[in-house]
Amino acid sequence: MSPALPIDTDRLVLRRFERSDLSALCEYHVLPAMQRYTLGRTRDRDEVAGALGIMRGQISLQRPGDTLTLAMIRKDDEKLLGHVSLHWTDCTAGQGEFRFLINPVHSGNGFVREALSALFDLAFGHYRIHRLMARCDGRNHNSIKLLQQMGLRLEAHYREHALFQGEWDEELHFAILDREWQRSSKVEDLPPRHRVA
Amino acid sequence: MALYPNYPLQTERLRLRPFTRGDVDAVFAYRRREDVALYLFDGPLSREECALAVQQRIGQITLEVEGDKVVLGVELASSGALIGEVSLIWRNVDARQGEIGWIFDPAYQGHGYATEAANALLDLGFGPGDMHRIAARCDVRNIASWRLMDRLGMRREAHFREHALFKNQWDEEFVYAILWQEWHSRREASDGG
Repeated sequence: MSPALPIDTDRLVLRRFERSDLSALCEYHVLPAMQRYTLGRTRDRDEVAGALGIMRGQISLQRPGDTLTLAMIRKDDEKLLGHVSLHWTDCTAGQGEFRFLINPVHSGNGFVREALSALFDLAFGHYRIHRLMARCDGRNHNSIKLLQQMGLRLEAHYREHALFQGEWDEELHFAILDREWQRSSKVEDLPPRHRVA
Repeated sequence: MALYPNYPLQTERLRLRPFTRGDVDAVFAYRRREDVALYLFDGPLSREECALAVQQRIGQITLEVEGDKVVLGVELASSGALIGEVSLIWRNVDARQGEIGWIFDPAYQGHGYATEAANALLDLGFGPGDMHRIAARCDVRNIASWRLMDRLGMRREAHFREHALFKNQWDEEFVYAILWQEWHSRREASDGG
């Protein structure tokens, strides 16, 4: 059940990672601001190459446990801006988890939101996922704001429930159900003159 | 920290002690009930299943490695009647995380026994057990259970909607938790009063 790739959005192409993405991936993956919240350690070119190798293998969801990772390429200049991923956690209950990372140079322009919208359409439409969730560090205000703006619900706020990078972890869970996403993305606002009240 | 408690644990009106072979009938009295099984993973148990469950619980009295579980029978100090059970699981050794749970016989509801027993278990986990955080979870419809969590001073940390299937239906679940420092200040306050 492979999706039709690449995916076209207004300003982006979402495609699989390629070997030649290494330098552009290093540009943001090694930054301390990124490392602060990532699970795996990728602090130099070799470690990023290892991560790239893994992500190049994440090309479709065949069974629970699989991950699909897509590079966000800007159409204008074919530049790699960041990436999004979808992890299939449970088949019978239709559960998925997504992640995202963007080069901070390009953040604040709605690129992640654009990529995630396409990823949600893929998850709910193509893969028939019932509920999507994301985990986020309590200090990561940019991600929290983005997830709230996209209509996700704060379902969990764990305090000191684990150790992360040598400190007590504060973790938020955001989630959205298929019927909630379909409504918000498919219902189009009428132009003001058609509104009754 | 590994935990080898001295049993029984005494509270004002209750004794928390390891299960024994003689508990099968008392356990069957509440585990056979539909209303008790409603929010548990198992359905109502037969007497044979209760005998197996009791057999398993007899050995669950210490925390030695991650994942270990202490399960104690709760009996009335006055009559010796078994009114339910409480459990403490060692979820994570490094981050000192625990989880508590309980099952009580509805015949003894409304006297504050569950609160008394669960508080004793929090004292065990945060005191001798040196835990940093203790969590509990329940179905959203299990009002008695999350009200008890409220009374214990636990905070609602999660409200999951349709995150899993439970008994062929979408599950909706609460997770409550209390940190060591929160438990400690509650005990200080109650000692002062």
